[in-house]
Amino acid sequence: MTTSSVATEAAAVAAPVFSPKDFKSSLKPIWCPGCGDFGVLQGIYRALAAIGRPSHEIAFISGIGCSSRIPGYTTAYGFNSVHGRALPIAQGLKLANPDLLVLVAGGDGDGFSIGGGHVAHAIRRNQDLTYLVMDNQIYGLTKGQLSPTSRKGLHTVTSAYGSLENPVNPLMYVMGYGAAFVAQGTPADIPGLAAMIEEAIRFPGFAFVNIQSPCVTYGEPDQQIKVHKKVMKRLEDLGHDSSDRVQAFDRAQSYGSELLTGVFFRDPDPPPTYGSLIRARKQELMASAPRREDILDMFVQD
Amino acid sequence: MSSTTGIDFSTLSLRDALDLAVLIEEEARDRYEEFAEQLELHHTPEAAKFFREMAGNEEKHRSQLAARRRISFGGEASTVTRAMIFDVEAPDYDEARAFMTVRSALEAAMRAEEKAYDFFAAAIPNVQDDEVRSLFEELRDEETEHKRMVAEQLEKAPADPEIDEEAFGDDPVSH
Ligand SMILES: Cc1ncc(C[n+]2csc(CCOP(=O)(O)OP(=O)(O)O)c2C)c(N)n1
Ligand code: SF4
Repeated sequence: MTTSSVATEAAAVAAPVFSPKDFKSSLKPIWCPGCGDFGVLQGIYRALAAIGRPSHEIAFISGIGCSSRIPGYTTAYGFNSVHGRALPIAQGLKLANPDLLVLVAGGDGDGFSIGGGHVAHAIRRNQDLTYLVMDNQIYGLTKGQLSPTSRKGLHTVTSAYGSLENPVNPLMYVMGYGAAFVAQGTPADIPGLAAMIEEAIRFPGFAFVNIQSPCVTYGEPDQQIKVHKKVMKRLEDLGHDSSDRVQAFDRAQSYGSELLTGVFFRDPDPPPTYGSLIRARKQELMASAPRREDILDMFVQD
Repeated sequence: MSSTTGIDFSTLSLRDALDLAVLIEEEARDRYEEFAEQLELHHTPEAAKFFREMAGNEEKHRSQLAARRRISFGGEASTVTRAMIFDVEAPDYDEARAFMTVRSALEAAMRAEEKAYDFFAAAIPNVQDDEVRSLFEELRDEETEHKRMVAEQLEKAPADPEIDEEAFGDDPVSH
């Protein structure tokens, strides 16, 4: 228990305009009781309240899976789209309406199996998106098949004798493609998770948060919240320097053997976003663009 | 893991302490209601009924505290918000399970009451204001009373059947 003695700064300023409840929709979650996604959802409500933008300025795009139901449980605009296609849809949306705050959610299967190819392109394009992956190391919705982050040797319906493959490391995966904001959280620490999601949203550019959100029905006993509470280690307590990419890579290798939470990497000099490059390109072209009235003349013969 | 952020117990006023107490009860009420809804949906009506009763208890405490706050401080603006507290008296999200027995629901409630007791017990040494201290002592002692009531119900609750819980799961067949 933390009884924070931090001076009550929050109390001194005016009460926030939004409360977490403002982002809760009337739809009731149908997840299995105890599912990690319940806690993640609370973290999202809290982060959105702290961001302070009204629901109609937010769009939440997801793929297909248990975790992909998240958008429907918020009051933001939402699209529970196609398995593995949340990122392309979100990119299109952001391009069409750059003023929207666009969040993307999905499972490890959605993001790193069928949708894995899209991750690289979302990162290199660097649109201002926040991608939350509920990594439960299993396919939940389809009843417990092997997922790309399932540990080697895992017995599932699709690996009756134990999987022979090494898991994907989502942290290394996104850092390998140059993601400028990479964090990992767990619903075992919801206030910490909320702060991390808020920071990811505020980061200018593509921000990735891997959330180890346990599946109570098909997940492994040692990947449950009670265990997370015991084994999780906060990066800040380890003296981690999140501006150091090499250190971030080094610590990210612990994925699968240790549960490190917090921001692994936050580029101290964030690269330009796709949106800002488009605006610059538009201005550049506008400078030498013919005037509207001259355009017609180009097509009219004397 | 209960926690608060942005609250300095050494400077907490009686008005803010009452608001905090109201929010703690409200959070617990909401969580028990959520659990009841989840379990109704997942064919676990008895545990759902117990959680609904707990939601009712928390609502009763909340409204009593809210009335005290109104009498002493009227409509004065509050500086404490829900975002400043987390899981103080509310059972942790992972306490709910489909097909859980009433006994395990009671055990979850007991752990929640223990958390709330520990919260007030840990906060009291940091409190400077005498009125706030006596309010927190009162709330801590109420948690002791709640623990006693849950323990009484636990004694009466039927023992869990001796079955392998996994047998009720929808696990992959090859497991
Ligand atoms: C194109 C397509 N292929 C396969 C499926 C079946 N399918 C639905 S969800 C899912 C995987 C779910 O796992 P994950 O994305 O990790 O989400 P979780 O349910 O674990 O949150 C699969 C394979 C589908 N809906 N569409
Ligand atoms: S199957 Fe797993 S991931 Fe899906 S709702 Fe149930 S616990 Fe959550």
